[in-house]
Amino acid sequence: MQKQQSCPPSAPGSDSLSHSLTDNLESLLALLGQSGDLVVRDFLLFGKYQASMVFFSSLVSQEQIQEHILKPLMARPSGHPDFTDNLADMVHYIWNTAVQVTQGTTEQFISSLPPAIVKGELVLLIEGVNEALLLDMRQIDMRGVEQPQTEQVIRGPREGYVEKLENNLALLRYRLQSTDFRIEISPLGTRTQSRVALCYLDSVADPHLVAEAMRRISIIETDSIIDAGYIEQFIEDQPLSPFPQVQSTERPDKTVAALLEGRVAILVDGSPFALVVPALFNQFFQTVDDYTERFIMGSLIRLIRLVALSFSLFFPAIYVSVISFNPELMPTDFAVAISGGRAGVPFPAVIEVLIMEVSMEVLREATIRLPQMIGGALSIVGVLVIGQAAVAAGLASPITVVIVALTTIGSFATPAYNAAIALRMLRFPLIILAGMFGMYGGMIGTILIINHLLFLESFGVPYMSPFIPGKWRDWKDTLVRVPLWWMRRRPSFLHIQDSSRLPASIPGAYADQILQQGGEADEHSKADHNAAGGSRDQ
Amino acid sequence: MNTPRQITTLRAAAVISSTIIGVGILSFPRYMAVAGGSSAPFVAFCGIVISFISFWLLASLCRRFPREPLFVFSRRLLGRPLAFVFTLLIFLIFTLLSGLTVRQFGDVATTVLYKKTPIEATIFLMLLICQLSARRSIIKFSYIHFFYLPLIIGPTVLITLISMRNIDWLNLQPVLTMPSVSFWRGAREASYLFQSSFVIILLIPYMQKPKQAVRAGALAIAVAGLLYLLIVIASVGLFGSEETKLLIYPTLESARSAAVGEGFLERLDALFIVLWVISVYTTVYTTYYLAAVLLQNLCNFKDQRSTSTVLLPLVFISAMLPTNVFETYTWSLTLGNVSLMVLTGYAGLLWAMFLFRRIQKKGASG
Repeated sequence: MQKQQSCPPSAPGSDSLSHSLTDNLESLLALLGQSGDLVVRDFLLFGKYQASMVFFSSLVSQEQIQEHILKPLMARPSGHPDFTDNLADMVHYIWNTAVQVTQGTTEQFISSLPPAIVKGELVLLIEGVNEALLLDMRQIDMRGVEQPQTEQVIRGPREGYVEKLENNLALLRYRLQSTDFRIEISPLGTRTQSRVALCYLDSVADPHLVAEAMRRISIIETDSIIDAGYIEQFIEDQPLSPFPQVQSTERPDKTVAALLEGRVAILVDGSPFALVVPALFNQFFQTVDDYTERFIMGSLIRLIRLVALSFSLFFPAIYVSVISFNPELMPTDFAVAISGGRAGVPFPAVIEVLIMEVSMEVLREATIRLPQMIGGALSIVGVLVIGQAAVAAGLASPITVVIVALTTIGSFATPAYNAAIALRMLRFPLIILAGMFGMYGGMIGTILIINHLLFLESFGVPYMSPFIPGKWRDWKDTLVRVPLWWMRRRPSFLHIQDSSRLPASIPGAYADQILQQGGEADEHSKADHNAAGGSRDQ
Repeated sequence: MNTPRQITTLRAAAVISSTIIGVGILSFPRYMAVAGGSSAPFVAFCGIVISFISFWLLASLCRRFPREPLFVFSRRLLGRPLAFVFTLLIFLIFTLLSGLTVRQFGDVATTVLYKKTPIEATIFLMLLICQLSARRSIIKFSYIHFFYLPLIIGPTVLITLISMRNIDWLNLQPVLTMPSVSFWRGAREASYLFQSSFVIILLIPYMQKPKQAVRAGALAIAVAGLLYLLIVIASVGLFGSEETKLLIYPTLESARSAAVGEGFLERLDALFIVLWVISVYTTVYTTYYLAAVLLQNLCNFKDQRSTSTVLLPLVFISAMLPTNVFETYTWSLTLGNVSLMVLTGYAGLLWAMFLFRRIQKKGASG
């Protein structure tokens, strides 16, 4: 028998179960209250003892109950043992021989029964026994494992989390078959009692980090945790910052990679998202594709994403400041073309850009909320038709439309939705600053944003790591993504216990061979490189 | 998880370097040309050496008190009242220096590039971001400098190197003229730019290896000095010393003359000015931070958050005091003279007291 979740402490004395089945049932039903799906099933245990089962039919599997509990309990046991004199032995007999259930426990206090019943357990009460048997029969239908909606990949696993915690933990265990992988589960939320799982790799993750994450979770005071997003808001370092300091992901493979780097993951029952802490700036611009593809492509795509990011943040501000303050900075031909396009527009550039940006945001929000079939149509109508018409009507110049389109596309290219929103938000103050003070205002705004990023921390790790504070070794997985066989160490800014990804006995000769010989090393030079040893270890 | 000693030697060097590279970058070649004609690079070099000597005096003293900043151990060496007077003096110097630096920046910004932005707004915005970031701890302070330094050095060196394609080496000859009074005055003026290396006194208590303070400073002064030398060589080589004397912002002019290809990258000076804003910000940030910390020590406050706010109007007023560009330059030269005397003199005085006390102690014990 496995002792499972710890129930709220119950006062001894009056709270204890009595020997009378009717008394016990009465007080239990009084605690549970009226409910349509509450089932009380009376039956004769082993054909002669009065017994009752109490459960919620909506939470348990009725077939399993019939097959594994009712059937063996109603049948007379072979050998006809008689428990009339020794009813306490019967509980042992039921446990050890009769019921076929993996998880369960015995309880002596009435007050601990209702929480177990609402969790999906079945309570078995027997006349003359002052103990109740709790049997885990929980079965709730869930959708199957599907492709994650928010984090699509070209190449890589297609499975995403579902709502049920057990399934999600199973997805993690399946990928991380190591005894080092630890999961700590505790209920959270006074009303919802959602189970929250804290996952980490015991020999890798920094114990301080694990303790800190645990501490932050344990001090949460709320009545309901409905999604992982609720937890994120309680544990993040700086709630006023526009930048997310906790990464949420739908992908088990991504979570496992994070765990292997020494991070901590938090899963909540009922949420298809895992939270990963600490989360740093560059993490929000990395995708699974970066690692599953060959390293040159990975690096290139990552750089493209960085360009997209700077588009989405700076482009409109630069445009506004150059157009309205420093047109002399543009090449002459280009300036002439732009001013030609702007000829019919009555507004100053900053108003024009703001109008277009705001309508773009509205359009995007509308597209997300609509069903997919209509959403596609709306975006075409909005972008093409209205964009063209706005130019024709003199609301905006063609170059503004181009700039706004580039900005929007740029923000779509940021893999993490919440990080993209941060940049979307910050774009507006930058445009306004640029509209007021020109290029200088834009610079000031940029410095403010960068400073904010430099000041931010996530669980004690500087947000801009590994750029700041500089650890050259960790730069191998930042702007570029160097070959996997070159990244032999885990990121050091996480203060991990075990820094090497590979056992120390394997020399770093593989990288040397590839870099120097193009993989065609003859025996002689191979020996040479091996002799040179792991000197290339970064 | 955090230990107090977090600043690496490299990061300390970055702080000093990015502090030194600042507003002076634009007009520096003119002073050097005025002082030494075609031997301007050599004048600059002498200035760098002078400033390193004064830095060495200070840093090697502070290194002996690796746990405390200057204004704390000076109380023990000099006694409270005298240390208070000197701290007050240094506080005034750095407040004025912040004001004048940001004023010089405002003058350039409004005349050259951001013509439509009023100078008050330019100055106030710059001071505001300094104030906001001066509220943070010294560790974060070093992060900022470390992050921006490559953004300052990289493009500046690149643009200067590009502009050096058109250099006429004859303009730089003779390399050496007879050192005259104006030569040494020029060298002294050059050393003013390096005065903010005083910031090492804040860094030492937080450095991982306080013993390497001098090394960090040497590295920083070498990097910044090389950059300044490069700029002088580029400007004088490009325009000749006589022409350089006439240009208000020779560095900007040489950046203007550097064009890559036809069309898009014609105007490298725009890029240069944009990055120059960052380099000015890091400079003013340091002087402002120093002033705030000094004021905090004068008032015995716990941290510099409140003093940095109080400082804002003070610095703003001192920035608006000069009535025109020439007055600004005269004022800043005078301030440079005063601070060279005060800072070096103070360090010398503390050294003397330190040695005196040590001899006394030896005498007492032995």
